[in-house]
Amino acid sequence: MPDDGILLLARASGRDLLMAASDLLEVLPAGPVTPLPGPLPGIAGVVLYEGEFLPVLDWGALPGAGGEVAGATSMAVLKRRLALPLEFLSGALEGGREGMRIEPPGEDPWAPFMVCACAIEGPALPLLDPDKLIDWLHQRRTSR
Amino acid sequence: MDQPFEDVWAEWEDLFGQARQTLASLKESQPAHVVQAGVSALFRTTHTLKGMAGMLGFPSFSRAAHRMEDIFDLMRKGRLRSTDSLVETLEAGMQALESGFEGLKRGRPEPEDYLQGLRRELGELEALARPAAGESQDLSALLDLPAEPLKALSDYERTRVTSALMDGLPIHGLAICLDFATFDDRLRRFSEGMARQGEIISTLPWEVPEGREGLAFMILLAGSAPELDGLATEPGEILEVRLLADPEWVPKSLRAEVGAEAEPVPAPATEAAPEPSPALPAQETEILRLPAQRVEALEARLMSVAQMRDALSGLLRHAPPAQAEVPLGILGRMEEGLLDVQKALLQMRMVKVETLFSRIEPMVRMLGRDMGKPVRLTLQGGDLEMERGIVGRLAEPFLHLVRNAMDHGLEPPEERRAMGKSETGSLRITASRRGRIIRFDIRDDGRGFDLAKIEEKGLAQGLLQPGLPVSQERLHRLALEPGFSTLDRVSQISGRGVGMDVVREEIEALGGEILLSSEWKRGSLVRLSLPLSRVVVGCLKVRSGGQTFGIPLANVLRVQVGHVVYRGGDRVQVLGMELPFESLQVCLGQGDPPEGQRAFVVLSQPGGSAGASFEISLGVDEVYGRAEILLRSLPELAQVPGIMGGSLQEEGILWVLDPEAVLGLAMDSLMRRVAHA
Repeated sequence: MPDDGILLLARASGRDLLMAASDLLEVLPAGPVTPLPGPLPGIAGVVLYEGEFLPVLDWGALPGAGGEVAGATSMAVLKRRLALPLEFLSGALEGGREGMRIEPPGEDPWAPFMVCACAIEGPALPLLDPDKLIDWLHQRRTSR
Repeated sequence: MDQPFEDVWAEWEDLFGQARQTLASLKESQPAHVVQAGVSALFRTTHTLKGMAGMLGFPSFSRAAHRMEDIFDLMRKGRLRSTDSLVETLEAGMQALESGFEGLKRGRPEPEDYLQGLRRELGELEALARPAAGESQDLSALLDLPAEPLKALSDYERTRVTSALMDGLPIHGLAICLDFATFDDRLRRFSEGMARQGEIISTLPWEVPEGREGLAFMILLAGSAPELDGLATEPGEILEVRLLADPEWVPKSLRAEVGAEAEPVPAPATEAAPEPSPALPAQETEILRLPAQRVEALEARLMSVAQMRDALSGLLRHAPPAQAEVPLGILGRMEEGLLDVQKALLQMRMVKVETLFSRIEPMVRMLGRDMGKPVRLTLQGGDLEMERGIVGRLAEPFLHLVRNAMDHGLEPPEERRAMGKSETGSLRITASRRGRIIRFDIRDDGRGFDLAKIEEKGLAQGLLQPGLPVSQERLHRLALEPGFSTLDRVSQISGRGVGMDVVREEIEALGGEILLSSEWKRGSLVRLSLPLSRVVVGCLKVRSGGQTFGIPLANVLRVQVGHVVYRGGDRVQVLGMELPFESLQVCLGQGDPPEGQRAFVVLSQPGGSAGASFEISLGVDEVYGRAEILLRSLPELAQVPGIMGGSLQEEGILWVLDPEAVLGLAMDSLMRRVAHA
């Protein structure tokens, strides 16, 4: 099992999810997102980050969207230069997936961009795979 | 790659860049002392490269740099004469080292001998310069100097004294006495002034005259007696000027012996009475080496200051005009200042395209000679500037493309003659800028791509479907496919190193694209288009669909705002032409503006495939000014068709249109309208 280090527990698009802290550059307070001047699947717009434009994920474009979604309070910046708006960040789990129950993504609508589903107790949560997520976004672009 | 290594690579790039420039300058007619200074600089450069390579664990590179260093040492000691053919060999040697360096950067293993291809030429040079057994000339004893200062001369300085005398140059001494407080600055000025008159061989400590305080020096100059007028001396500084040694004092037998052995440099006519020559490369210019991240951090900080300025400006716009007028004026000037600083920061990252061209020229000459193919090389656009990092990464793909053109494109002279072509082939490389794109065209007038053979191979390798028609464009692109067999294209010249697929990979990794085209027996064109990540663009500012846009002024022919309402598909009479009208909103996929539009911009894209320009009337909601803006690219995930990038402005992000793409989108839309009519 890979060493995930710290896992962050967050809520986005009405769902709880896990992210490996090692996949992130930082978590920032959410700011206004400037929409792009044309439709782009999966991208809500851009924010200015360290002097450069940073695309912001549109969770609503992901499969399984449609639940009640609160406004974003923070924004996780992936190392692969994509911002993920988060409704809130609820905690951090040290030790990664150690001691957790690991399940395959199965029928989860987010399966195309999950590493796996993990749980200590209660329902398993999706662990986000940034590479798969970005590949998925690229595929959406090219298949337009 | 970690930061320390990036710093080392950057330093190596600088060293190679300086070496290229110096080598190029050696081919120009220059006074001997300027040539000497250049050769000494090259000696130091190769010495540094040798040391750094050894320290970093590249023994083979270190050996090769050592060999080049030895040759430069032989030159600076006067044992090899600087001739065009010698400089060409040295250029080829430095080129081989530089190509090797590119390989090291990419983590490739070291070759056994970087200079393998030049073994014969370098061997001949070394043999030519080798002294006769046991012989070592030293004419420094002829100098009319006391014993103590004479002892202070280094071996190299003794060699230079000998070489100058054997070349027929006298050695003059200028004794000076300088104040303690200012001696370093004054000595530097003396040295600079003297260096314009001849080669400074040494600066020796000298005895301070009785009753004086300060520091005294004797500057040894190879050449005529120094002209003191140009030295801006101060009273009492000059102690004496004297002839220290004259070529006439050298025994005739010795002159003949050395002349036969080492082919000394004949003294150019200008050396007897040296003309004031251009200053040597400014050694006093301080070069700062900064990690790129520091500049990036500064840019980011500047951006946040600009954001604060915009926020303040926004607040002021809600204040009563009488109170806001003055502060808004100050903010306007602040914006100009910020843009100036942004431009200056941008400039720090830029280098001229000619730094890339300077690597191509010697290689083309060498390949032309080795392959027996006379070539007329034309380079255009060297003054354009690109980001240093991009230029560095372009070097190897470029060299590969040029090698390919020389090897596979251009025919041998006899074949060209039989085809009615000039025996001298043509290779034309042009760089031009289109918005934020730098375009390189590499054209040759050779045989072009053999599309029939490419198709045959494509079918054989399963890259093409039998029986299906295939376009010329597709066939050309096959040459860029990984694994596309080039068995019968491999040669000593272009069968080694990177392949076309690697060239494509590198160009695409830079966010660019490569296009090939050719005409059989007429020539080929390789076009590389590379985006600049940041660039300052003059724009017309417009509003459309609730957003603000910048249209590059270079593509704006006319702006018109009137009473007539236009809708997509209308024809507009303007500039004596009837142009189709399409709304920018529609081009960007946002639907027709329900009320139509009264304002439009005549957008033009000059120089289409047939060389003619192409225009359209582009509808917008409002035209509200013009500005010079710092354009930033959009990351790939956020790239929207028709948009070149964006710039943070007072009113938010201003999206800058890509005129060529917008024209394409407009034409698509107009054709859909016709189809649905």
